[in-house]
Amino acid sequence: MIEAKEIEKYYGSKESRFKVLKGVSLKIEDGDFAVILGASGSGKSTFLNVLSGLEYADKGTVSYDGMDITKISDDKLTEFRRENIAFIFQQYYLLPNMNVDKNVKMGADLAGNKDYKSIIAAVGLGEKLNKYPSELSGGEQQRVSVARALAKKPKVLFLDEPTGALDEQTGRQVLDYICRLKKEHGFTIIMVTHNQNIAEMANTVIKMNSGKISEVYINNIQKNVYEIGW
Amino acid sequence: MVVGIKDAAKLFVISIMVCCAVLVCTMFLNFNMDIAAIKDEITSETVMIFYNAQVSVAKVVSAVSGGCLLITSIIMLIFYIKHYVDIHKKELGILKALGYSNLKIAKNFWIFGISVFIGAVIGFCMAFIIMPLFYEIQNEDKILPEISINFHMELFGYFVIVPTFVFALLSIMFAYFRLKEPVLFLLKDNLQVAAKSGKHKKDKESKEKDCLFTDDLKSSTLKSRKTLTFFIIFASFCFSSMTQMSFSMTDLSSEMFAVMIILIGLVLAFTTLFLAITTVVNSNTKTIAMMRVFGYSQKECCHAILGGYRFISYIGFVIGTIYQYVLLRIAVDIIFKDISNVPEYKFDVPAMFISLISFIVIYEIIMYCYSERIKKISIKEVMLEY
Ligand SMILES: Nc1ncnc2c1ncn2[C@@H]1O[C@H](COP(=O)(O)OP(=O)(O)OP(=O)(O)O)[C@@H](O)[C@H]1O
Ligand SMILES: [Mg+2]
Repeated sequence: MIEAKEIEKYYGSKESRFKVLKGVSLKIEDGDFAVILGASGSGKSTFLNVLSGLEYADKGTVSYDGMDITKISDDKLTEFRRENIAFIFQQYYLLPNMNVDKNVKMGADLAGNKDYKSIIAAVGLGEKLNKYPSELSGGEQQRVSVARALAKKPKVLFLDEPTGALDEQTGRQVLDYICRLKKEHGFTIIMVTHNQNIAEMANTVIKMNSGKISEVYINNIQKNVYEIGW
Repeated sequence: MVVGIKDAAKLFVISIMVCCAVLVCTMFLNFNMDIAAIKDEITSETVMIFYNAQVSVAKVVSAVSGGCLLITSIIMLIFYIKHYVDIHKKELGILKALGYSNLKIAKNFWIFGISVFIGAVIGFCMAFIIMPLFYEIQNEDKILPEISINFHMELFGYFVIVPTFVFALLSIMFAYFRLKEPVLFLLKDNLQVAAKSGKHKKDKESKEKDCLFTDDLKSSTLKSRKTLTFFIIFASFCFSSMTQMSFSMTDLSSEMFAVMIILIGLVLAFTTLFLAITTVVNSNTKTIAMMRVFGYSQKECCHAILGGYRFISYIGFVIGTIYQYVLLRIAVDIIFKDISNVPEYKFDVPAMFISLISFIVIYEIIMYCYSERIKKISIKEVMLEY
């Protein structure tokens, strides 16, 4: 279970200090599919980064099964990410001078996963193992980043607008891969998105508004990726 | 503005090198010119021989050490601009896509001339500060008449004005040629790398089955930047050959010479190493940041990015050791051929060990500093820059 308590986060120094997160609290159960919605600039990405231990909070705690990650050292935090977490970002963030195979291997190695090639094949890139990111389309790059994240066998998968740069069809495909693998491995998903429709796939929907959570609701019926609008 | 003073400031390694080169050249050539003025005052034959020896030594030293430093700084400058254009490819590409002409963008690169100018001026001034002492040492036994120090305008021209303009022009030209690439090449990450290395990777794939990602990264970092490999070999080569040569020098020749050799060696070694490793780290910040996001430890990142260079630097050290031995052997054989009671020259084992140990210590300290720097890479900042 992931539990965030009264998280505050500031940017900027003294005079121009700007409160991005104004006391955010949240609980997410293991195996949940949580979606965070909200206007641009409402602090979604910042919240995601704090939740996942990429950034420190200025106040408040984030705990995973009771372990507080806001109090541990940077090295410990890195180790924590190594064991538990994977990311998929809107901008893909692939390693530019490594080919598809190596990019995915970067994730796979951390979990000692020798069978990562099957995941590359599962996202439909089996033929493009030796291509570099600059030779791939946006959708293909995002699928590489999905493969990289999933090859790591994470307990929690964080996604920051994974379909933001993709068209409808590729977007659906990418989500489909993620959902299929979620069924198989049962990891927790926390996804930031602009797309209201995607929220219908989730079981927990969190709405953010200028640095605060304005609403949380549970979906009793979860649609699959081909049933939702776009 | 594409290139700012800040970028030129990062070029301080070049400044240091230019400074040393100008210092050495100015000192010796100024001495040469001043000594020429007293040529007429010399009457006896023995003094004349001494005079000639002094002139030729000054010429050789300024040519060898000054030239060596100068060539290295030219290579480094070109390399730095290439690197600069590489990591700012996107911005340059956007400007180009917006319709700025190549020449207009490239013109901004004149600013690199400034770092050369600063180095040259400092070197030139320092030469004049050291000169009284230098003149005195050169004429220690008072064999020659008193030599007075004169300021030679032409030297200022050769060593300060000309290099500044040449380097500024060189920078502009080089940037211009890099910018001639199609906009898309500039805008996309490593399109060329992909194009170049895409093919021959396939046949290797079967071999590297069980190695780790970090090992892959290590070897690909090494392979992708051959110039850097060369620089690192060069740096340890300079260190090992110059320090050991200097130890032997104290026995064979003057102490002054030994000190100069060791100084030049150290300057060359450190500036090249600094530039090379900084480039390695800078061009891998994205990779490092992403590895840290996924949970690779600082140690693993350092091992993958920098670890490959350790072995290479030892190769440089070995080459340097052999080089200095062969060079001195030949020099002793030729120069002291006709002279009796030649100082015996043997391979200096203690010198080698001292040099090796200090090399290892210094290398590891530098690597430690860089690993601290890798630790400080802010994940968030890199992500914003992508
Ligand atoms: N590194 C930073 N330094 C200063 N301010 C920042 C930084 N990162 C984010 N901010 C500010 O924090 C606020 C929230 O940013 P955040 O990226 O979390 O928004 P978001 O909800 O993800 O928006 P979007 O939907 O556009 O991605 C913004 O106003 C932004 O300007
Ligand atoms: Mg965002």
